[in-house]
Amino acid sequence: MGRSPRWLRTLVILYVGLLVGVPLVFVFQRAFAHGAGALWTALQDPSMGNAIGLTIRVVLVALPVNTIVGVGAALWIVRHPSWLTRIIDRVIDVPLAISPIIIGLMLELAYAQNGWLGRPLAALGLQIIFSYPGIVLACIFVSLPLVTRQLIPLLREIGSNQEQTAASLGAGPVRIFLTITMRSILWATAYGVSLTLARILGEYGAVLIVSGNITDLTQTLTLNIGANFENYNAYQGFVGAGVLALTSVIILLLLGVARHRERKRHEHLA
Amino acid sequence: MTFYSLVVLIPLAALFSNAFTHGWGFFWKAATAKEALSAYRLTITCSLVAALVNAVAGLGTAWVLVRDSFKGKAILNALIDLPFALPTVVAGVTFYTLYGPKSPVHLTLTGTWTGITVAIVFVTLPFTVRSVQPVIETMTFNAEAAAATLGASPWRVFRTITLPTLLPAIVTGAGLAFARAMGEYGSVVFISNNLPFRTEVASSYIYSLASAGDPIGAAATAVMMLVVALCVLVVVSVTSRRLVKGH
Repeated sequence: MGRSPRWLRTLVILYVGLLVGVPLVFVFQRAFAHGAGALWTALQDPSMGNAIGLTIRVVLVALPVNTIVGVGAALWIVRHPSWLTRIIDRVIDVPLAISPIIIGLMLELAYAQNGWLGRPLAALGLQIIFSYPGIVLACIFVSLPLVTRQLIPLLREIGSNQEQTAASLGAGPVRIFLTITMRSILWATAYGVSLTLARILGEYGAVLIVSGNITDLTQTLTLNIGANFENYNAYQGFVGAGVLALTSVIILLLLGVARHRERKRHEHLA
Repeated sequence: MTFYSLVVLIPLAALFSNAFTHGWGFFWKAATAKEALSAYRLTITCSLVAALVNAVAGLGTAWVLVRDSFKGKAILNALIDLPFALPTVVAGVTFYTLYGPKSPVHLTLTGTWTGITVAIVFVTLPFTVRSVQPVIETMTFNAEAAAATLGASPWRVFRTITLPTLLPAIVTGAGLAFARAMGEYGSVVFISNNLPFRTEVASSYIYSLASAGDPIGAAATAVMMLVVALCVLVVVSVTSRRLVKGH
């Protein structure tokens, strides 16, 4: 009953294979097109190296910030409901529905030297737009809800009985969080963090606007790929694309592990 | 809260304030410029087609992932999330090369609406699959089995029982895909060739205004796009809630 016909299986495999599988294989094929020697040389390209360095420095700040804010926001929305959290709960997904180009434009308008926030910050000697902080800001914005939206349904489902029991037995809030809350949300958080990482590494439109795309200075890896491609250096672009594609395959594996563990935890409870 | 204000709310307010710097009339003129209108038309058409393609293909894919079992299903399942994990610019340069002027498969889609739609279908693939999949997982076979025992054909069972149950999830997934598609940039900008009035998507038009030193025009167009995206999300959420109730 409710079987899935064989023709549908064939059709789906063909569809996903053509749409997703072929492009993925194609990226790696292009990166290896001129042999391992050429690839090794291309990997040592100084501008691409600088772009990778910048991207890593952005991840090192934006990822922890969004993890902490994401977990904090989810706990706040679920455990301390108020009119404010209800509004936030409703609009939490909005950053995901805004075009990255518009996000970049918004940040530029607010944080440029003549913007509302940019002017006072410039007076303090802080430049946001066309420099590192702007890129971090853009990456934080585009991936803001990814951790929170994984955790909200989960926190609602598990309730706070265990936490209250622990509190009545005299455990402090930090201890409760580490020994009880953290345990049940660990893999869902890992899933959200992996998605956040993917989004930060892959951000293009928003970063394109706020960074100014200055080679060796404010060019992230995605921008470097785009620039190489536009400057008729497609091979170098595909080497960068291969690096990012490899990272996203690793992220896919992380997502798979996190989903599997979360399901196991769920079954264990049931 | 301060964090949200600094990151999201103040920039959002700055966008609106810039869009209306010269008043309503100027805003309307900038937001409905001829080039803007053709960009909206292109973006909405391609996004709509992509959302429909994904609604059908996503349903089929989710169905196979839940109700079928075969070797390599785990790989198929993992591949579905690839468009979320793969940077849009990587997808963009790949599609441009794969279906570009020197296409290795002899299929040139650069500078066409089809090319743009293919890129968007790729980027939004996971939305419907991932919203429909859990609903199929929790579906019980009882109603389907009963209908079949009473002599209903598989097609009739699907149409009268399966589809209505899944429809809210399909609408939600397709709606999210549509909203995402409307703002897509990195994956589309290469294959589209970016010809004003012909293959320039809305995000690309906004970017060209912003980089040509017209932040107010860019902000006005952006506000227009935001309003459309917001309307889509509201319509989707209302429709899917109605469908759930009706069922």
